[in-house]
Amino acid sequence: MNDEAKVALVTGAGTGIGAACARALADEGFRVAVHYRSSDVKAKELAEKLPGAFTLQADITEPEEVDALLVELKEKAGRLDVLVNNAGTNRNGPMASMKIDDYDAVAAVTRGTWYLTKRVIRRFMLRQKSGRIISITSVVGHTGNRGQSVYTMMKAGLDAMTKSLAQELAGRPILVNSVAPGFIATEMTEELPDEIRQGILDKIPQGRMGEPEEVADAVAWLATRASYVNGSVLHVNGGMYGG
Amino acid sequence: MEKTEIQERVVKILTPYVKDQGALANVSAATNILEDLKVNSARLVDVVLAFEDEFDIEIADEDVDVVNTVGDCVGLIADKL
Ligand SMILES: NC(=O)c1ccc[n+]([C@@H]2O[C@H](COP(=O)([O-])OP(=O)(O)OC[C@H]3O[C@@H](n4cnc5c(N)ncnc54)[C@H](OP(=O)(O)O)[C@@H]3O)[C@@H](O)[C@H]2O)c1
Repeated sequence: MNDEAKVALVTGAGTGIGAACARALADEGFRVAVHYRSSDVKAKELAEKLPGAFTLQADITEPEEVDALLVELKEKAGRLDVLVNNAGTNRNGPMASMKIDDYDAVAAVTRGTWYLTKRVIRRFMLRQKSGRIISITSVVGHTGNRGQSVYTMMKAGLDAMTKSLAQELAGRPILVNSVAPGFIATEMTEELPDEIRQGILDKIPQGRMGEPEEVADAVAWLATRASYVNGSVLHVNGGMYGG
Repeated sequence: MEKTEIQERVVKILTPYVKDQGALANVSAATNILEDLKVNSARLVDVVLAFEDEFDIEIADEDVDVVNTVGDCVGLIADKL
């Protein structure tokens, strides 16, 4: 790994889709900053396997922790070429019985994603006059999904952020896109109740959940070869929904 | 650094973003960046980044909110040097 290697920060990279994105970007030659909040063992194990990779810990709902993360990133890598906003959380249930705390928990991560993105642009990408920002959103932000009023609202909002920011930064040029997975086999989907799970499988034309690597492939493409795709939502969902 | 020198360097940084180049002829501390010089507000972030690089300082987002005039820029930078 040479010092000139481009650097990618993947949030929530200790687990699931984030870990797959970190591996895919390392395969593309990026030095990866493997961010985690609580999955320290998994994140550190992953970083050890990827050339030049290192871990960064932060709860992205706390602006001070985001600021500290970026200071550490600057010290360790000096630059940032790709940001993958993968960290996410959900609270599911019929809207009528959900609590405002459920809303706040999901919204706090969205707010943190907005803040991290804003700081990354200001601290790194505007100065470098280049960069790629890729947010992991969700098909349900487009289709809606019973029991996911808050989650769908936040993911749709993140896609809207992608579009607005792409327009703001297009002249720089910093490319901003979303990858909206369908249902992917990770811990997040394992937690779904059986009847919801079966209902999901019935809706997927390809008849199976996707693998984290299939999402990471789309992210790696947007981070490297894509040059005229900007403000887009790339759907990765086995035919459920095409946009 | 003398404030006059800071102001000269501030004006030099602002110049490529100034739409009303005529207004540069009698620029003073009271000159308003957006209203008098007609700098596009979307480019202010580039100006701030250039200040940071030129003077080797860090400017917080909150600081930028109180910057309206050339004199405000000079004051902000002088405080950080
Ligand atoms: N799996 C799916 O079917 C699916 C479908 C569409 C979209 N997505 C989206 O894909 C992304 C990854 O999900 P996943 O399926 O891989 O689930 P996951 O394994 O539960 O990943 C969520 C990640 O987010 C991180 N995170 C959560 N809250 C955080 C916070 N406050 N600060 C920092 N990090 C935080 C977690 O970090 P720690 O573990 O270190 O705490 C974890 O690594 C999410 O944005 C999710 O909404 C998933």
